[in-house]
Amino acid sequence: MVKFGIEFVPREPYWKIIYYAIQAEKGGFSNLWITDHFNNRNVYVTLTAAAIYTNKITFGPGVTNPYMVNPVFTAQAIATLNELAPGRVVLGMGAGDKTTLESVGVEMQKPLTAIVEAVDIFRKITSGENVIYKGEVFKTAGAKFLFKPKGGIPVYVGAQGPKMLELAGKIGDGVLINACHPKDVEYAVNCVKEGIRQASKRLDEVDIAAYTSFSVHEDIKKANKAAVPVVSFIVAGSPPQVLERHGIDVKKAEEIKEALKANDWGRAFSGVTPEMISAFSVCGTPDMCIERIAELLKSGISQFVVGSPIGANVREAINLISEKIIHHFKT
Amino acid sequence: MVKLPVSYERRIYMDYRKLVETIPVAKREPLSNKLIDLVLSSKNDEKMPNQLANTILHHWQNDILISESGLTALLEAAALLEPDKTIEVFTQLELASCAEQLKEVTAKT
Repeated sequence: MVKFGIEFVPREPYWKIIYYAIQAEKGGFSNLWITDHFNNRNVYVTLTAAAIYTNKITFGPGVTNPYMVNPVFTAQAIATLNELAPGRVVLGMGAGDKTTLESVGVEMQKPLTAIVEAVDIFRKITSGENVIYKGEVFKTAGAKFLFKPKGGIPVYVGAQGPKMLELAGKIGDGVLINACHPKDVEYAVNCVKEGIRQASKRLDEVDIAAYTSFSVHEDIKKANKAAVPVVSFIVAGSPPQVLERHGIDVKKAEEIKEALKANDWGRAFSGVTPEMISAFSVCGTPDMCIERIAELLKSGISQFVVGSPIGANVREAINLISEKIIHHFKT
Repeated sequence: MVKLPVSYERRIYMDYRKLVETIPVAKREPLSNKLIDLVLSSKNDEKMPNQLANTILHHWQNDILISESGLTALLEAAALLEPDKTIEVFTQLELASCAEQLKEVTAKT
């Protein structure tokens, strides 16, 4: 049966995020993902509060990257969280966003290698090993915790491109696929499956999650309105081949990008078309969202992650998802 | 015996608590829903004291947000973040006397 996850961006104060996290747990969500961006509130502080105020939901950063935060520190934070909420903690690790990394002067070098090495170091050190590591990107000269970590923490790899997706299937206990459209998700799942095959693992050993931009409301206009800002940023950041695959005019996407750069939100948001919303979000009434999720499930995903904006009113949207959408798939 | 002074925060809490005690049980759930919406949608985040936020989260986690102590915390938060809108909520729920009491309490803060 499909699991439902939910993502929050800690741009809002901790007490709002944690209120929603408790609500999500009560509403049947099984996974909570907190994004990790230097310009928002800290992911581990937020997760610590989540650990204290929730009882059963599984949670973790969705996703952190090994460039901004050294994998040894990530392992320390996750291992400590796993003491606070044993068995409920997972790590979400991806290569990060190049533009964000550049803004703080961090170079994204060899992303595939960096992920392999970071995951390797994470697993070793959280198993209590003294890690002497001579990788291409990361090196440790004898790193060991002075406390006994509870190992076996699942690692989810965040991925978008074909090589990273394949790698995620190969080394991950889970994969976070950054896609919303059935065509994109199906393609991504096939790449993940290839990685799983190469690692001689069973398909059910890897939790494959579609990490979506999501917006639900009983009134479709309100659902769309909430999705538009997020979609405008996705469109602006998408390469031409992705836009063309969805029949989106590259010139229109360029105009949105220019408007966003100029902080002209009105112009940027008015350029977002229904085709863009359909390609880059799961958006609509509960019935429309159910239909789209059902389509995505055919590709073989095992977790559906509800990501920003969730809805025009987050509290109402979580209630709608719990009562109508999760209920639909659990009965 | 020396009578210890009651702290300002404690007095305010007691004022809100007394107000909550006068709210009919049937109105507590709709009131709690409206107050939580008000608090979550407020742009005056910085006015929320962290202890009060933690009290609300504790009550929410334990499903006791509509208890007298839970509702007191919610009301205090709503009145701090959105005083005028909180009074409006009482009026909408036809709790006119509570709205009047609330005006008196918020005037003290």
